[in-house]
Amino acid sequence: MTQGLPPALSVRALGLSYGATRILDGIDLTLPAGEVLALLGPSGSGKTTLLRLLAGLLRPDAGRIEIAGKAVADPGRGLFAPPERRGLGMVFQDYALWPHLSVARNVAFPLEMQRCPTAERRARVTRALERVGLAALAERRPSELSGGQQQRVAIARAIVAEPPLVLFDEPLSNLDRELRETMVDEIAALVADLKLSAVYVTHDHAEALALADRIAVMRDGGIAQLAAPATLIDAPASAGIAAFLRLGTLLPASRTEAGWTITGSRVALPDPPNAPAGAAARVLLPERALAPAATASPDARARLAARVLRVQVRASGFALTLRLAGTEHEVALLSPRPAAPGDDLELAFAPEALRWFPATDDPTDHPLP
Amino acid sequence: MARGSTTGAGGSRGFLWISALSLGLVVALPALFVVLVAVFPDLGRGSLAAPFRPLWRVLSDPALAVLLRNTLVLGLGTVAVSAALALPLAALRALFRVPCARVWDLLLLIPFMIPPYIAALSWILTLQPRGYLEQLSGVNLAGLLFSVPGIILLMALNTFPVVYFILSRNFETIGARFSDVGRVCGAGPWRAFLRLTLPLATPGIAASLLLVFAMAIEEYGTPAALGRRIGFEVLVTGIENRVSEWPIDLPEAAGLSLVLVLLALAAFAVQRWLLARRDYRILGGKPQPFQKRPLGRWRLPVLALFALVAGVATVLPLLAILAAALGRTISGGLRPDNLGLTNFAELLDLGSGGLRALSHSLSLGVATALLAGGLGAITAYAVARGAGRGRAALDALSLMPNALPGVVVGVGIILAWNQPWLPVSPYNTPLILLLAYTCLLLPQPVRYASAALQQQGDSLEAAARVCGAAPRTAFARIVLPLMTPSLITSMLLVFAVASRELVASLLVAPVGYETISVYIWRQFDQGSVGLGMAMALCTIAITTLIPMLLIALMRGRLSPG
Amino acid sequence: MKLSLIAALLLATATTARADVTVYSAGPGSLINALAAGFTATTGTRVNVFQATTGKIMARLEAEAANPVADMVISASWGTATQFAEEGLLLDYDSPNAATVPDFLKLPGAVAEGVSGLVIAWNPTSGTPRPTDWADLARPAYKDMVTLPDPAASGGTFTLVEALLANDRKDLLEDLKDNGAIVAGANKAALTPVLQGAKAAVFAGVDYITMDAAAKGESIEAIFPSSGTVIAPRPMMILKSSQNAEDAKAFFDYVLSEPGQAMVAAAYLMPARTDIEADRPLIGDMKLMSNEGAPARDEVLSTFQGIFR
Repeated sequence: MTQGLPPALSVRALGLSYGATRILDGIDLTLPAGEVLALLGPSGSGKTTLLRLLAGLLRPDAGRIEIAGKAVADPGRGLFAPPERRGLGMVFQDYALWPHLSVARNVAFPLEMQRCPTAERRARVTRALERVGLAALAERRPSELSGGQQQRVAIARAIVAEPPLVLFDEPLSNLDRELRETMVDEIAALVADLKLSAVYVTHDHAEALALADRIAVMRDGGIAQLAAPATLIDAPASAGIAAFLRLGTLLPASRTEAGWTITGSRVALPDPPNAPAGAAARVLLPERALAPAATASPDARARLAARVLRVQVRASGFALTLRLAGTEHEVALLSPRPAAPGDDLELAFAPEALRWFPATDDPTDHPLP
Repeated sequence: MARGSTTGAGGSRGFLWISALSLGLVVALPALFVVLVAVFPDLGRGSLAAPFRPLWRVLSDPALAVLLRNTLVLGLGTVAVSAALALPLAALRALFRVPCARVWDLLLLIPFMIPPYIAALSWILTLQPRGYLEQLSGVNLAGLLFSVPGIILLMALNTFPVVYFILSRNFETIGARFSDVGRVCGAGPWRAFLRLTLPLATPGIAASLLLVFAMAIEEYGTPAALGRRIGFEVLVTGIENRVSEWPIDLPEAAGLSLVLVLLALAAFAVQRWLLARRDYRILGGKPQPFQKRPLGRWRLPVLALFALVAGVATVLPLLAILAAALGRTISGGLRPDNLGLTNFAELLDLGSGGLRALSHSLSLGVATALLAGGLGAITAYAVARGAGRGRAALDALSLMPNALPGVVVGVGIILAWNQPWLPVSPYNTPLILLLAYTCLLLPQPVRYASAALQQQGDSLEAAARVCGAAPRTAFARIVLPLMTPSLITSMLLVFAVASRELVASLLVAPVGYETISVYIWRQFDQGSVGLGMAMALCTIAITTLIPMLLIALMRGRLSPG
Repeated sequence: MKLSLIAALLLATATTARADVTVYSAGPGSLINALAAGFTATTGTRVNVFQATTGKIMARLEAEAANPVADMVISASWGTATQFAEEGLLLDYDSPNAATVPDFLKLPGAVAEGVSGLVIAWNPTSGTPRPTDWADLARPAYKDMVTLPDPAASGGTFTLVEALLANDRKDLLEDLKDNGAIVAGANKAALTPVLQGAKAAVFAGVDYITMDAAAKGESIEAIFPSSGTVIAPRPMMILKSSQNAEDAKAFFDYVLSEPGQAMVAAAYLMPARTDIEADRPLIGDMKLMSNEGAPARDEVLSTFQGIFR
């Protein structure tokens, strides 16, 4: 459908430093037209800086950025297009609505800048406001609107000029959870409807997974993994990414004569498909691969005994926190059946669902709270 | 998160240039000539002989220490009293529903509209033995009036409106949301105000108090009228003496001016240091409605406080001016048969030149407000959002006139613009007054606009840029309108001060061109005090009413909500 | 846009204000305005007036030294004329109308426009006895009731202090200080508290200012002290740098003409010419103190400040 179009965004070897500090290094990205790329990472990982570079609000000192096939920044050739010449839409974290202009004037601004004729402008502003369900509030001041409404105005302003690329800078971080979930759905629908190409910065992996066609996980000013959501969940490139995405429990594993066990215990693990080098490894026990064992399983090594520590009742089931028998490690599990703290359970998993990482991989990694 | 935004960089380079060029012409050039005269005493005659001699003479004179000490006492005292007067009123006005708030605003604006030399004279007429107060009540307060605390009090009564208006706007922007958070965290209302709202208002407090300090150390009228009696000389009166008492010593005056400039720059450095330590952005991109609180049982005490301050700062001097303007003679006092409209009739008489002086000053006031406002906005923006090392210099340059007494600016402007080799010169045309006033008053819009910018989040401008606005457009459509309320306030102040500026006007007014202040001064000096006071009263009325009308016209269009 | 419009307007008013003779004059403003108007009516030549204190005029002349604007200067202090003459700044002009001006009111390059005298300016409603001589003001009846203009700011007061010192009457100043007399700025600043009754008398008041106030109905009287006083001639001079010396000379002549001197007299100044009537005491009617042997200006001022600070 979008074949033949240049990519909405292409970034090559992009870098930025403040003095001697390297903020971003060697960023490579390609976003096909009509797709959404999420920049996912903890704060300080450089994702907002990367977005500001794309917007032209910061000047890179290495690499090249192309938007819709047009180079907008290439310090090697002295090329830098200021923000206003990049034809982007952008939704800011704090919405950045102009308090002295009405909702309609806020939304009309990008069109005004393109010298769009008044009649057409009015029609397009109305259409954009209708899309976000705010047509009735067009003459209000931003300060008279609720947080969610202000967010919708910001989105309407970003899409009204139908830019080739829309940038979202943690747009939902100021909203409460319920509204955030609604807005994720709305943005997803809007993006799909308008076939928008978008870069979406967030630290919330649920948002990224819900919205993005591809996710770039950022760490320490670089891209740790760039993949489709399913791939990312199925095959995180490192233990650190697995931890950040909270895919499950990371267990230290040691090779013994009897095969692999959880380090410091006698709990046995199934053999890895490709044996990691060395005598130690880390293994991801994905939460979604775990289930309470219903019947006796033939393979004792695809089962784990555990004791229930805490139980939370959820609409979708019972969220259990359990301690693996014979270890200090905890695992989480969503069970369809109730359980009480102190109950002992058998957990079953498919051995091929385990993901093995080298033991040396990212020893400092911790998922952020 | 990266804050080192280059959003404005592209655009502010242009602004930086415009601002640097204009400041160079308006401020740096006269200042440069003042420095040159301090160094080369015979520069006025085109000679570079005997360099540094007068400067050395000034610096080695033990009297300088006394002048410096007195100047500091006056400046700091005025700042303290101004803050004590203005802070509570501003906080009450901004955070609570004070009854008749607009009326208090107007009444508290007036002291600023009363030229200091008029205010000083009206206080003398009121408080001295056999003054109006004694004629009415039998007591006089001459002891307080002619003392250092008295001078400080009068100067604070003149300057505190600056702090009041900057701070009430500031507190309004901050609103109650931050202190609400504090109260939830367990702080009482007082603690929440002192620990949260007050610190957040620091940019405004620092900016306005710095202005007051600069105004106080630069003020001539009050210390000259009152201080001379008790032998209290400050730097400005020292400078003025050297310029207005024969034999004239311009080089020494220039040398003393340099000391004054250094003092003001030190104050400026303190302000920078205060502001650089923290980030005070409070106007994020998420606009919040703000409801003022009712005063409850504090209604009457608060009203009484406003009435007391307005009464002392505004009503009393105004009544004294009115009494003098209505009096046929001073010695006749308040006797009914001595009162009449003679002075007003003479003022309106075409032959007296009063109307001409009024029209001169008012048009100059408007022109100065526009020029200084525009230049101030551009400079504040270039300084706040630009990149490059020139910014600090520009900021300092825009503040420097605060430290330049009118008389020094006058001398500098004559020296700079009356060079025989200049093909065209504004000298001896009213434009020279426009230049002088703009130079003297530029700090006001710059400070107001900077404080407004300081509190405007970067993202508002960034959003405009991403939406396709070129730097200039983003400035004109987003940044400028958002600082407009502050800017207009400052332009009104500029208008009011420019239409009554005395010292520089006396010196550089083109031959045969009289301004209001020159007219009043001439009446005080040789004509009748009553006629001068009649003119002063008209001026105060006009410089108060014109801004009020403007505000009434623009309200609702500019202020959000 | 708006700005350039205003600038244009300002420029327009400026160009219409261009005139033929430019005069910097010390007060009174009404006198120089009347002289200028009379001159224009007679000759058609316009006079542009910059009116300020002697100090301000000197400051402006000093600052303009590189490119002088004024053709003619009228100051209130004779010392300025002697200094300018020494510096060679003055055009030597022997006006035919100056024939009846006594020699002590003339210098090469300067002739007095008029002369003022120093008086006791006393408020009759102040509840004090009418003083007749300087020394009266040091009496207990005037305790805390006397003001003096600052000799640094008032040329007249300076001349009087100078004469007192020359005649060994420094003790008079000390007695005044002991009696609570205060120094209050320039002439008018010393007079205003007396008018209101806060003080009873100005020691070293300026006669024409006092008489003018009395004529306007103020309760004030100019008293010529019995032991003698001093006079302050007001020099009128044409600058050598004048581009328009001919018209300046014409104005110079006009000020010294009969109608010109009549205007001087109407301002309660003593006319410089001896043949002009005036409704006030003239030089011949006064007892004058000599200031022969007076110390230099700096010493006079520092002696005065030593007493009063």
